[in-house]
Amino acid sequence: MMTHERKRRIEGIIALTFSTLAAFLGLFWLVFILGDVLIHGVKALNLNLFLNDPAPAGVDGGGLRNAFVGQLMITICATLIGVPVGVLGGTFLAEYARGRTIARIISILADIMVSVPSIVIGTFIYAVMVKPIGHFSGWAGAIALAIIMVPVVLRTTEDMLSLVPWTIREAAFALGAPYHKVITQVVYRAAATGILTGILLSIARVAGETAPLLFTSFNNAYYSLNMNQPISSLTVTIFQYAMGPYDSWHSQAWAAAFVITIFILLLTITGRLIIKWRYR
Amino acid sequence: MLEQIELRVKGLNFYYSGGIHALKQINLPVHSKQVTALIGPSGCGKTTLLRCFNRMHDLYPGNRYEGEIHFVKDNILSPDTDLINLRSRIGMVFQKPTPFPMTIFDNIAYGLKLKGINKRAELSERVERALQHAALWDEAKDKLNSSAYDLSGGQQQRLVIARALAVNPEVLLFDEPTSALDPISTSKIEELFDKIKKDVTIIIVTHNMQQAARISDWTGFMMLGELVEFDTTDKIFTAPAEKLTEDYVTGRFG
Repeated sequence: MMTHERKRRIEGIIALTFSTLAAFLGLFWLVFILGDVLIHGVKALNLNLFLNDPAPAGVDGGGLRNAFVGQLMITICATLIGVPVGVLGGTFLAEYARGRTIARIISILADIMVSVPSIVIGTFIYAVMVKPIGHFSGWAGAIALAIIMVPVVLRTTEDMLSLVPWTIREAAFALGAPYHKVITQVVYRAAATGILTGILLSIARVAGETAPLLFTSFNNAYYSLNMNQPISSLTVTIFQYAMGPYDSWHSQAWAAAFVITIFILLLTITGRLIIKWRYR
Repeated sequence: MLEQIELRVKGLNFYYSGGIHALKQINLPVHSKQVTALIGPSGCGKTTLLRCFNRMHDLYPGNRYEGEIHFVKDNILSPDTDLINLRSRIGMVFQKPTPFPMTIFDNIAYGLKLKGINKRAELSERVERALQHAALWDEAKDKLNSSAYDLSGGQQQRLVIARALAVNPEVLLFDEPTSALDPISTSKIEELFDKIKKDVTIIIVTHNMQQAARISDWTGFMMLGELVEFDTTDKIFTAPAEKLTEDYVTGRFG
Protein backbone atom coordinates (compact mmCIF):
# COMPACT_ATOMS: atom_id res chain seq x y z
CA MET A 1 0.00 0.00 0.00
CA MET A 2 2.72 2.39 1.07
CA THR A 3 4.93 1.56 -1.91
CA HIS A 4 2.05 2.15 -4.31
CA GLU A 5 1.43 5.65 -2.99
CA ARG A 6 5.11 6.39 -3.12
CA LYS A 7 5.34 5.22 -6.70
CA ARG A 8 2.56 7.59 -7.68
CA ARG A 9 4.24 10.47 -5.86
CA ILE A 10 7.51 9.83 -7.68
CA GLU A 11 5.70 9.62 -11.02
CA GLY A 12 4.09 12.97 -10.24
CA ILE A 13 7.44 14.58 -9.45
CA ILE A 14 8.97 13.24 -12.66
CA ALA A 15 6.06 14.52 -14.79
CA LEU A 16 6.22 17.94 -13.14
CA THR A 17 10.00 18.15 -13.64
CA PHE A 18 9.88 17.28 -17.33
CA SER A 19 6.98 19.57 -18.19
CA THR A 20 8.59 22.47 -16.31
CA LEU A 21 11.89 21.87 -18.12
CA ALA A 22 10.09 21.74 -21.47
CA ALA A 23 8.28 24.99 -20.72
CA PHE A 24 11.51 26.75 -19.78
CA LEU A 25 13.27 25.36 -22.86
CA GLY A 26 10.58 26.88 -25.06
CA LEU A 27 10.55 30.16 -23.16
CA PHE A 28 14.36 30.36 -23.19
CA TRP A 29 14.56 30.57 -26.99
CA LEU A 30 11.66 32.98 -27.16
CA VAL A 31 13.27 35.35 -24.66
CA PHE A 32 16.64 34.85 -26.35
CA ILE A 33 15.27 35.83 -29.76
CA LEU A 34 13.18 38.76 -28.50
CA GLY A 35 16.07 39.97 -26.33
CA ASP A 36 18.51 39.77 -29.24
CA VAL A 37 16.14 41.69 -31.52
CA LEU A 38 15.60 44.25 -28.80
CA ILE A 39 19.30 44.81 -28.03
CA HIS A 40 20.55 44.92 -31.62
CA GLY A 41 17.43 46.66 -32.89
CA VAL A 42 17.36 49.51 -30.40
CA LYS A 43 21.07 50.12 -31.00
CA ALA A 44 20.51 50.57 -34.75
CA LEU A 45 17.31 52.57 -34.35
CA ASN A 46 17.40 56.24 -35.34
CA LEU A 47 15.18 58.75 -37.01
CA ASN A 48 17.08 58.60 -40.31
CA LEU A 49 15.98 55.00 -40.65
CA PHE A 50 12.41 56.21 -41.21
CA LEU A 51 13.21 59.36 -43.19
CA ASN A 52 15.93 58.29 -45.64
CA ASP A 53 16.02 55.85 -48.50
CA PRO A 54 18.81 53.28 -48.71
CA ALA A 55 22.32 54.51 -49.46
CA PRO A 56 24.20 52.83 -52.33
CA ALA A 57 25.36 49.34 -51.43
CA GLY A 58 28.35 49.36 -49.12
CA VAL A 59 28.05 53.05 -48.29
CA ASP A 60 27.19 53.80 -44.64
CA GLY A 61 24.06 55.72 -43.65
CA GLY A 62 20.75 55.86 -45.42
CA GLY A 63 17.46 54.44 -44.13
CA LEU A 64 14.61 52.14 -44.96
CA ARG A 65 11.81 54.60 -45.70
CA ASN A 66 11.01 52.68 -48.89
CA ALA A 67 10.57 49.44 -46.97
CA PHE A 68 8.42 50.94 -44.21
CA VAL A 69 6.13 52.64 -46.71
CA GLY A 70 6.03 49.60 -48.98
CA GLN A 71 5.23 47.27 -46.09
CA LEU A 72 2.45 49.59 -44.97
CA MET A 73 0.95 49.81 -48.45
CA ILE A 74 1.06 46.06 -49.04
CA THR A 75 -0.46 45.33 -45.63
CA ILE A 76 -3.21 47.94 -46.00
CA CYS A 77 -4.13 46.77 -49.50
CA ALA A 78 -4.11 43.13 -48.35
CA THR A 79 -6.41 44.08 -45.46
CA LEU A 80 -8.76 46.00 -47.76
CA ILE A 81 -9.03 42.97 -50.05
CA GLY A 82 -8.91 40.15 -47.52
CA VAL A 83 -11.14 41.47 -44.73
CA PRO A 84 -14.33 42.10 -46.75
CA VAL A 85 -14.00 38.73 -48.48
CA GLY A 86 -13.37 36.97 -45.18
CA VAL A 87 -16.18 38.71 -43.28
CA LEU A 88 -18.74 38.23 -46.06
CA GLY A 89 -17.66 34.61 -46.53
CA GLY A 90 -17.98 33.95 -42.80
CA THR A 91 -21.40 35.60 -42.87
CA PHE A 92 -22.49 33.30 -45.69
CA LEU A 93 -21.38 30.24 -43.73
CA ALA A 94 -22.92 31.24 -40.41
CA GLU A 95 -26.14 32.79 -41.70
CA TYR A 96 -27.26 31.97 -45.22
CA ALA A 97 -25.73 28.49 -45.52
CA ARG A 98 -26.09 27.58 -41.84
CA GLY A 99 -26.40 23.83 -41.33
CA ARG A 100 -25.97 23.01 -45.02
CA THR A 101 -23.32 20.65 -46.37
CA ILE A 102 -21.75 23.41 -48.45
CA ALA A 103 -21.04 25.39 -45.26
CA ARG A 104 -19.31 22.45 -43.63
CA ILE A 105 -17.19 21.80 -46.74
CA ILE A 106 -16.09 25.45 -47.01
CA SER A 107 -15.33 25.51 -43.27
CA ILE A 108 -13.07 22.47 -43.54
CA LEU A 109 -11.36 23.86 -46.67
CA ALA A 110 -10.73 27.15 -44.84
CA ASP A 111 -9.18 25.24 -41.94
CA ILE A 112 -6.86 23.50 -44.40
CA MET A 113 -6.05 26.85 -46.07
CA VAL A 114 -5.01 28.28 -42.69
CA SER A 115 -2.24 25.70 -42.43
CA VAL A 116 -1.03 25.79 -46.06
CA PRO A 117 2.62 26.97 -46.06
CA SER A 118 2.67 30.60 -47.13
CA ILE A 119 5.36 29.97 -49.73
CA VAL A 120 2.82 27.86 -51.62
CA ILE A 121 0.51 30.89 -51.83
CA GLY A 122 3.50 32.97 -53.03
CA THR A 123 4.38 30.56 -55.83
CA PHE A 124 0.69 30.31 -56.76
CA ILE A 125 0.40 34.08 -57.21
CA TYR A 126 3.72 34.03 -59.07
CA ALA A 127 2.24 31.52 -61.53
CA VAL A 128 -1.16 33.16 -62.02
CA MET A 129 -0.24 36.84 -61.76
CA VAL A 130 3.47 37.69 -61.84
CA LYS A 131 4.35 35.39 -64.74
CA PRO A 132 1.49 36.42 -67.09
CA ILE A 133 2.00 40.14 -66.35
CA GLY A 134 5.72 39.76 -66.77
CA HIS A 135 7.04 41.51 -63.65
CA PHE A 136 6.77 41.61 -59.85
CA SER A 137 4.28 44.07 -58.38
CA GLY A 138 2.95 45.44 -55.11
CA TRP A 139 -0.54 44.25 -56.02
CA ALA A 140 0.68 40.67 -56.42
CA GLY A 141 2.12 40.87 -52.90
CA ALA A 142 -1.06 42.37 -51.48
CA ILE A 143 -3.20 39.67 -53.10
CA ALA A 144 -0.91 36.90 -51.83
CA LEU A 145 -1.22 38.27 -48.28
CA ALA A 146 -4.98 38.74 -48.72
CA ILE A 147 -5.32 35.06 -49.67
CA ILE A 148 -3.53 34.14 -46.44
CA MET A 149 -5.85 36.43 -44.46
CA VAL A 150 -9.16 35.26 -45.92
CA PRO A 151 -9.45 31.84 -44.23
CA VAL A 152 -8.42 33.27 -40.85
CA VAL A 153 -10.98 36.10 -40.99
CA LEU A 154 -13.62 33.82 -42.48
CA ARG A 155 -13.39 31.19 -39.75
CA THR A 156 -13.32 33.76 -36.91
CA THR A 157 -16.31 35.58 -38.38
CA GLU A 158 -18.21 32.30 -38.75
CA ASP A 159 -17.45 31.28 -35.15
CA MET A 160 -18.30 34.68 -33.70
CA LEU A 161 -21.60 34.93 -35.59
CA SER A 162 -22.55 31.41 -34.51
CA LEU A 163 -22.10 32.47 -30.88
CA VAL A 164 -24.79 35.17 -31.19
CA PRO A 165 -27.96 33.64 -29.68
CA TRP A 166 -30.79 32.87 -32.10
CA THR A 167 -33.34 34.60 -29.90
CA ILE A 168 -31.80 37.98 -30.78
CA ARG A 169 -32.22 37.27 -34.48
CA GLU A 170 -35.80 36.11 -33.91
CA ALA A 171 -36.52 39.30 -31.98
CA ALA A 172 -35.32 41.38 -34.92
CA PHE A 173 -37.31 39.29 -37.39
CA ALA A 174 -40.36 39.69 -35.16
CA LEU A 175 -40.11 43.47 -35.62
CA GLY A 176 -40.34 42.98 -39.37
CA ALA A 177 -36.66 43.29 -40.23
CA PRO A 178 -35.45 41.65 -43.47
CA TYR A 179 -32.55 39.21 -43.07
CA HIS A 180 -29.81 41.49 -44.40
CA LYS A 181 -30.77 44.16 -41.86
CA VAL A 182 -30.92 41.60 -39.06
CA ILE A 183 -27.34 40.63 -39.92
CA THR A 184 -25.83 44.06 -40.51
CA GLN A 185 -27.65 46.00 -37.78
CA VAL A 186 -28.06 43.47 -34.99
CA VAL A 187 -25.89 40.36 -35.39
CA TYR A 188 -22.72 42.21 -36.51
CA ARG A 189 -23.04 44.52 -33.52
CA ALA A 190 -23.33 41.60 -31.14
CA ALA A 191 -20.28 39.91 -32.68
CA ALA A 192 -18.28 43.08 -33.45
CA THR A 193 -15.48 42.72 -30.91
CA GLY A 194 -14.85 39.09 -31.78
CA ILE A 195 -14.72 39.80 -35.50
CA LEU A 196 -12.47 42.84 -34.96
CA THR A 197 -10.07 40.73 -32.90
CA GLY A 198 -9.94 38.12 -35.67
CA ILE A 199 -9.13 40.85 -38.19
CA LEU A 200 -6.31 42.29 -36.05
CA LEU A 201 -4.79 38.86 -35.49
CA SER A 202 -4.96 38.10 -39.21
CA ILE A 203 -3.12 41.38 -39.97
CA ALA A 204 -0.51 40.42 -37.39
CA ARG A 205 -0.21 37.06 -39.08
CA VAL A 206 0.49 38.41 -42.59
CA ALA A 207 2.59 41.39 -41.53
CA GLY A 208 5.45 39.04 -40.72
CA GLU A 209 5.31 37.01 -43.95
CA THR A 210 8.40 36.92 -46.17
CA ALA A 211 8.10 33.93 -48.45
CA PRO A 212 4.96 35.01 -50.34
CA LEU A 213 6.40 38.50 -50.92
CA LEU A 214 9.67 37.17 -52.33
CA PHE A 215 7.68 35.70 -55.21
CA THR A 216 5.29 38.59 -55.72
CA SER A 217 6.22 42.13 -54.69
CA PHE A 218 9.94 41.23 -54.55
CA ASN A 219 11.96 44.29 -53.57
CA ASN A 220 12.76 47.79 -54.70
CA ALA A 221 15.86 49.75 -53.67
CA TYR A 222 14.03 53.02 -54.34
CA TYR A 223 11.12 54.78 -52.71
CA SER A 224 7.99 53.89 -54.68
CA LEU A 225 4.26 54.27 -54.19
CA ASN A 226 3.41 52.44 -57.40
CA MET A 227 1.64 49.19 -56.57
CA ASN A 228 2.01 48.09 -60.21
CA GLN A 229 5.77 47.89 -59.79
CA PRO A 230 7.98 45.87 -57.46
CA ILE A 231 7.81 47.44 -54.04
CA SER A 232 9.99 47.09 -50.97
CA SER A 233 8.83 45.46 -47.75
CA LEU A 234 10.40 45.13 -44.32
CA THR A 235 10.45 41.36 -44.29
CA VAL A 236 12.09 40.93 -47.70
CA THR A 237 14.53 43.73 -46.83
CA ILE A 238 15.45 41.95 -43.60
CA PHE A 239 16.04 38.79 -45.59
CA GLN A 240 18.22 40.58 -48.15
CA TYR A 241 20.17 42.75 -45.70
CA ALA A 242 20.81 39.96 -43.23
CA MET A 243 22.31 37.86 -46.05
CA GLY A 244 24.33 40.81 -47.39
CA PRO A 245 28.03 41.41 -46.78
CA TYR A 246 27.90 44.88 -45.17
CA ASP A 247 27.79 45.66 -41.44
CA SER A 248 25.53 48.68 -42.03
CA TRP A 249 23.00 46.35 -43.72
CA HIS A 250 23.12 43.99 -40.77
CA SER A 251 22.36 46.69 -38.23
CA GLN A 252 19.54 48.09 -40.38
CA ALA A 253 18.09 44.60 -40.69
CA TRP A 254 18.11 44.37 -36.89
CA ALA A 255 16.30 47.69 -36.63
CA ALA A 256 13.71 46.59 -39.18
CA ALA A 257 13.22 43.30 -37.33
CA PHE A 258 12.72 45.26 -34.11
CA VAL A 259 10.12 47.59 -35.63
CA ILE A 260 8.08 44.82 -37.24
CA THR A 261 8.18 42.74 -34.05
CA ILE A 262 6.89 45.68 -32.02
CA PHE A 263 4.19 46.32 -34.62
CA ILE A 264 2.95 42.72 -34.46
CA LEU A 265 3.21 42.71 -30.67
CA LEU A 266 1.04 45.83 -30.48
CA LEU A 267 -1.56 44.35 -32.82
CA THR A 268 -1.71 41.16 -30.76
CA ILE A 269 -1.95 43.03 -27.47
CA THR A 270 -4.72 45.23 -28.88
CA GLY A 271 -6.57 42.09 -29.94
CA ARG A 272 -6.22 40.58 -26.48
CA LEU A 273 -7.31 43.81 -24.79
CA ILE A 274 -10.43 43.96 -26.93
CA ILE A 275 -11.34 40.39 -25.91
CA LYS A 276 -10.73 41.20 -22.25
CA TRP A 277 -12.68 44.44 -22.41
CA ARG A 278 -15.58 42.67 -24.10
CA TYR A 279 -15.84 39.80 -21.63
CA ARG A 280 -14.92 41.56 -18.41
CA MET B 1 -71.86 42.42 -25.99
CA LEU B 2 -70.69 43.24 -29.46
CA GLU B 3 -67.16 42.09 -29.95
CA GLN B 4 -64.84 42.18 -32.87
CA ILE B 5 -62.77 39.20 -33.85
CA GLU B 6 -59.21 40.23 -34.68
CA LEU B 7 -57.86 36.84 -35.70
CA ARG B 8 -59.74 33.67 -36.55
CA VAL B 9 -57.92 30.34 -36.73
CA LYS B 10 -59.70 27.83 -39.00
CA GLY B 11 -58.76 24.17 -39.29
CA LEU B 12 -55.08 24.83 -38.58
CA ASN B 13 -52.63 21.93 -38.79
CA PHE B 14 -48.92 22.43 -38.37
CA TYR B 15 -46.06 20.07 -39.17
CA TYR B 16 -42.43 20.57 -38.11
CA SER B 17 -39.73 19.73 -40.65
CA GLY B 18 -39.28 16.20 -39.32
CA GLY B 19 -42.95 15.55 -40.09
CA ILE B 20 -44.10 15.90 -36.48
CA HIS B 21 -47.78 16.84 -36.44
CA ALA B 22 -47.61 19.55 -33.78
CA LEU B 23 -51.00 21.24 -34.15
CA LYS B 24 -54.20 19.35 -34.98
CA GLN B 25 -57.34 20.98 -36.37
CA ILE B 26 -57.17 24.15 -34.29
CA ASN B 27 -60.20 26.47 -34.44
CA LEU B 28 -59.99 29.60 -32.34
CA PRO B 29 -61.26 33.18 -32.34
CA VAL B 30 -59.04 35.94 -30.94
CA HIS B 31 -61.09 38.86 -29.67
CA SER B 32 -60.00 42.36 -30.49
CA LYS B 33 -58.46 44.48 -27.68
CA GLN B 34 -58.69 41.64 -25.19
CA VAL B 35 -56.20 39.25 -23.63
CA THR B 36 -56.32 35.65 -24.82
CA ALA B 37 -54.24 33.16 -22.82
CA LEU B 38 -53.05 29.79 -24.08
CA ILE B 39 -52.38 27.27 -21.32
CA GLY B 40 -51.48 23.59 -21.22
CA PRO B 41 -48.73 21.20 -20.20
CA SER B 42 -45.24 21.36 -21.74
CA GLY B 43 -45.13 20.21 -25.33
CA CYS B 44 -48.86 20.75 -25.88
CA GLY B 45 -48.24 23.08 -28.83
CA LYS B 46 -49.17 26.43 -27.30
CA THR B 47 -45.91 28.12 -28.28
CA THR B 48 -46.08 26.46 -31.70
CA LEU B 49 -49.54 27.97 -32.17
CA LEU B 50 -48.37 31.40 -30.99
CA ARG B 51 -45.52 31.36 -33.50
CA CYS B 52 -47.99 30.70 -36.33
CA PHE B 53 -49.54 34.15 -35.89
CA ASN B 54 -46.39 35.97 -37.05
CA ARG B 55 -45.17 33.10 -39.25
CA MET B 56 -42.02 32.71 -37.14
CA HIS B 57 -41.86 29.07 -38.28
CA ASP B 58 -40.94 30.31 -41.76
CA LEU B 59 -37.42 31.09 -40.50
CA TYR B 60 -36.66 27.38 -40.44
CA PRO B 61 -36.92 25.29 -43.60
CA GLY B 62 -39.30 22.38 -43.89
CA ASN B 63 -42.08 23.59 -41.57
CA ARG B 64 -45.55 23.35 -43.05
CA TYR B 65 -48.94 24.95 -42.27
CA GLU B 66 -52.38 23.71 -43.34
CA GLY B 67 -55.60 25.62 -42.83
CA GLU B 68 -56.20 29.33 -42.40
CA ILE B 69 -55.67 32.18 -39.97
CA HIS B 70 -57.76 35.20 -40.88
CA PHE B 71 -56.37 38.56 -39.81
CA VAL B 72 -59.10 41.11 -40.46
CA LYS B 73 -59.92 39.82 -43.94
CA ASP B 74 -56.66 38.27 -45.18
CA ASN B 75 -55.45 34.72 -44.67
CA ILE B 76 -51.98 35.25 -43.18
CA LEU B 77 -50.95 31.67 -43.95
CA SER B 78 -51.26 32.37 -47.67
CA PRO B 79 -47.91 32.22 -49.48
CA ASP B 80 -48.52 35.77 -50.79
CA THR B 81 -48.41 37.28 -47.30
CA ASP B 82 -45.74 39.96 -46.95
CA LEU B 83 -43.99 38.71 -43.80
CA ILE B 84 -42.24 42.02 -43.13
CA ASN B 85 -45.58 43.83 -43.15
CA LEU B 86 -47.25 41.07 -41.11
CA ARG B 87 -44.58 41.16 -38.42
CA SER B 88 -44.79 44.93 -38.11
CA ARG B 89 -48.53 44.52 -37.43
CA ILE B 90 -48.23 41.48 -35.15
CA GLY B 91 -45.36 41.93 -32.70
CA MET B 92 -43.79 39.39 -30.39
CA VAL B 93 -42.15 39.31 -26.96
CA PHE B 94 -40.07 36.29 -26.03
CA GLN B 95 -39.47 34.31 -22.86
CA LYS B 96 -35.98 35.65 -22.25
CA PRO B 97 -35.51 39.40 -22.69
CA THR B 98 -33.96 40.08 -26.10
CA PRO B 99 -32.51 43.59 -26.05
CA PHE B 100 -30.28 44.38 -29.04
CA PRO B 101 -26.61 45.26 -28.42
CA MET B 102 -27.23 49.01 -28.65
CA THR B 103 -28.45 51.88 -26.48
CA ILE B 104 -31.87 51.96 -24.87
CA PHE B 105 -32.94 54.69 -27.27
CA ASP B 106 -31.70 52.81 -30.34
CA ASN B 107 -33.44 49.63 -29.20
CA ILE B 108 -36.82 51.35 -29.26
CA ALA B 109 -36.01 53.34 -32.39
CA TYR B 110 -35.00 50.19 -34.26
CA GLY B 111 -38.49 49.14 -35.31
CA LEU B 112 -39.41 52.74 -36.14
CA LYS B 113 -36.38 53.11 -38.39
CA LEU B 114 -37.34 49.88 -40.14
CA LYS B 115 -40.64 51.59 -40.93
CA GLY B 116 -38.76 54.51 -42.46
CA ILE B 117 -39.13 56.96 -39.58
CA ASN B 118 -35.80 58.78 -39.42
CA LYS B 119 -36.52 62.29 -38.17
CA ARG B 120 -34.83 62.81 -34.85
CA ALA B 121 -37.71 64.76 -33.31
CA GLU B 122 -40.33 62.17 -34.26
CA LEU B 123 -38.09 59.32 -33.08
CA SER B 124 -37.53 61.01 -29.71
CA GLU B 125 -41.22 61.60 -29.24
CA ARG B 126 -42.22 58.05 -30.12
CA VAL B 127 -39.42 56.50 -28.05
CA GLU B 128 -40.63 58.47 -25.04
CA ARG B 129 -44.24 57.50 -25.65
CA ALA B 130 -43.32 53.81 -25.99
CA LEU B 131 -41.24 53.85 -22.81
CA GLN B 132 -44.07 55.53 -20.91
CA HIS B 133 -46.50 53.03 -22.35
CA ALA B 134 -44.34 50.19 -21.02
CA ALA B 135 -43.89 51.91 -17.62
CA LEU B 136 -40.13 52.20 -18.08
CA TRP B 137 -39.80 55.93 -18.74
CA ASP B 138 -39.11 57.00 -15.15
CA GLU B 139 -36.37 54.41 -14.74
CA ALA B 140 -34.80 54.90 -18.18
CA LYS B 141 -35.21 58.58 -19.04
CA ASP B 142 -31.80 59.54 -17.64
CA LYS B 143 -29.89 56.79 -19.38
CA LEU B 144 -31.38 56.58 -22.84
CA ASN B 145 -27.87 56.54 -24.28
CA SER B 146 -26.47 53.76 -22.15
CA SER B 147 -26.43 50.13 -23.23
CA ALA B 148 -29.66 48.18 -22.92
CA TYR B 149 -27.63 45.47 -21.19
CA ASP B 150 -27.20 47.80 -18.19
CA LEU B 151 -30.89 47.31 -17.33
CA SER B 152 -32.08 44.54 -15.00
CA GLY B 153 -33.85 41.50 -16.43
CA GLY B 154 -37.30 42.85 -15.64
CA GLN B 155 -36.45 46.27 -17.08
CA GLN B 156 -35.05 44.60 -20.19
CA GLN B 157 -38.33 42.75 -20.67
CA ARG B 158 -40.28 46.02 -20.37
CA LEU B 159 -37.81 47.58 -22.82
CA VAL B 160 -38.58 44.80 -25.28
CA ILE B 161 -42.31 45.37 -24.77
CA ALA B 162 -41.76 49.10 -25.37
CA ARG B 163 -39.84 48.27 -28.53
CA ALA B 164 -42.71 46.12 -29.76
CA LEU B 165 -45.31 48.77 -28.83
CA ALA B 166 -43.37 51.59 -30.51
CA VAL B 167 -44.40 50.51 -34.01
CA ASN B 168 -48.12 50.55 -33.05
CA PRO B 169 -48.87 46.88 -33.72
CA GLU B 170 -52.44 45.63 -33.84
CA VAL B 171 -51.60 42.40 -32.03
CA LEU B 172 -48.85 41.48 -29.55
CA LEU B 173 -47.78 37.88 -28.96
CA PHE B 174 -46.22 37.02 -25.60
CA ASP B 175 -44.33 33.74 -25.20
CA GLU B 176 -44.10 33.13 -21.43
CA PRO B 177 -42.89 36.69 -20.92
CA THR B 178 -42.45 36.45 -17.15
CA SER B 179 -41.12 32.94 -16.64
CA ALA B 180 -37.53 34.22 -16.46
CA LEU B 181 -38.38 37.08 -14.07
CA ASP B 182 -38.69 37.61 -10.33
CA PRO B 183 -42.16 38.14 -8.74
CA ILE B 184 -41.89 41.94 -8.57
CA SER B 185 -40.89 42.28 -12.20
CA THR B 186 -43.64 39.82 -13.06
CA SER B 187 -46.34 41.86 -11.35
CA LYS B 188 -45.11 45.03 -13.09
CA ILE B 189 -45.52 43.33 -16.44
CA GLU B 190 -48.92 41.94 -15.51
CA GLU B 191 -50.07 45.47 -14.63
CA LEU B 192 -48.93 46.50 -18.09
CA PHE B 193 -51.32 44.14 -19.82
CA ASP B 194 -54.34 45.93 -18.41
CA LYS B 195 -52.95 49.23 -19.59
CA ILE B 196 -51.94 48.27 -23.12
CA LYS B 197 -54.92 46.13 -24.02
CA LYS B 198 -56.88 49.31 -24.76
CA ASP B 199 -54.69 49.66 -27.83
CA VAL B 200 -53.61 46.18 -28.79
CA THR B 201 -54.93 42.67 -28.90
CA ILE B 202 -52.86 40.35 -26.73
CA ILE B 203 -52.22 36.63 -27.02
CA ILE B 204 -50.12 35.17 -24.22
CA VAL B 205 -48.68 31.72 -23.70
CA THR B 206 -48.14 30.98 -20.03
CA HIS B 207 -47.16 28.10 -17.81
CA ASN B 208 -48.60 29.89 -14.84
CA MET B 209 -52.33 29.24 -14.43
CA GLN B 210 -52.78 31.94 -11.80
CA GLN B 211 -51.31 34.38 -14.27
CA ALA B 212 -53.74 33.32 -16.98
CA ALA B 213 -56.62 33.66 -14.49
CA ARG B 214 -55.44 37.12 -13.36
CA ILE B 215 -54.80 38.80 -16.67
CA SER B 216 -56.76 37.17 -19.46
CA ASP B 217 -60.31 37.58 -20.73
CA TRP B 218 -60.29 34.39 -22.79
CA THR B 219 -58.43 31.15 -22.22
CA GLY B 220 -57.65 28.25 -24.50
CA PHE B 221 -56.54 24.96 -22.95
CA MET B 222 -54.32 22.84 -25.19
CA MET B 223 -53.07 19.30 -24.94
CA LEU B 224 -51.09 17.08 -27.32
CA GLY B 225 -51.46 19.55 -30.16
CA GLU B 226 -55.21 19.95 -29.83
CA LEU B 227 -57.27 22.79 -28.47
CA VAL B 228 -59.29 20.99 -25.81
CA GLU B 229 -61.45 23.91 -24.77
CA PHE B 230 -61.76 27.60 -25.47
CA ASP B 231 -63.99 29.95 -23.49
CA THR B 232 -64.00 33.01 -21.28
CA THR B 233 -61.37 32.80 -18.57
CA ASP B 234 -64.08 32.81 -15.92
CA LYS B 235 -65.75 29.81 -17.44
CA ILE B 236 -62.51 27.84 -17.95
CA PHE B 237 -61.41 28.32 -14.36
CA THR B 238 -64.77 27.94 -12.62
CA ALA B 239 -66.98 25.72 -14.74
CA PRO B 240 -65.08 24.11 -17.62
CA ALA B 241 -67.09 21.94 -19.97
CA GLU B 242 -64.37 19.31 -20.38
CA LYS B 243 -63.23 16.96 -17.62
CA LEU B 244 -59.62 17.25 -18.93
CA THR B 245 -59.68 21.04 -18.55
CA GLU B 246 -61.00 20.76 -15.02
CA ASP B 247 -58.28 18.27 -14.07
CA TYR B 248 -55.60 20.58 -15.45
CA VAL B 249 -56.78 23.87 -13.94
CA THR B 250 -57.31 22.26 -10.56
CA GLY B 251 -53.75 20.98 -10.68
CA ARG B 252 -54.48 17.28 -10.94
CA PHE B 253 -51.83 16.92 -13.69
CA GLY B 254 -49.53 19.11 -15.72
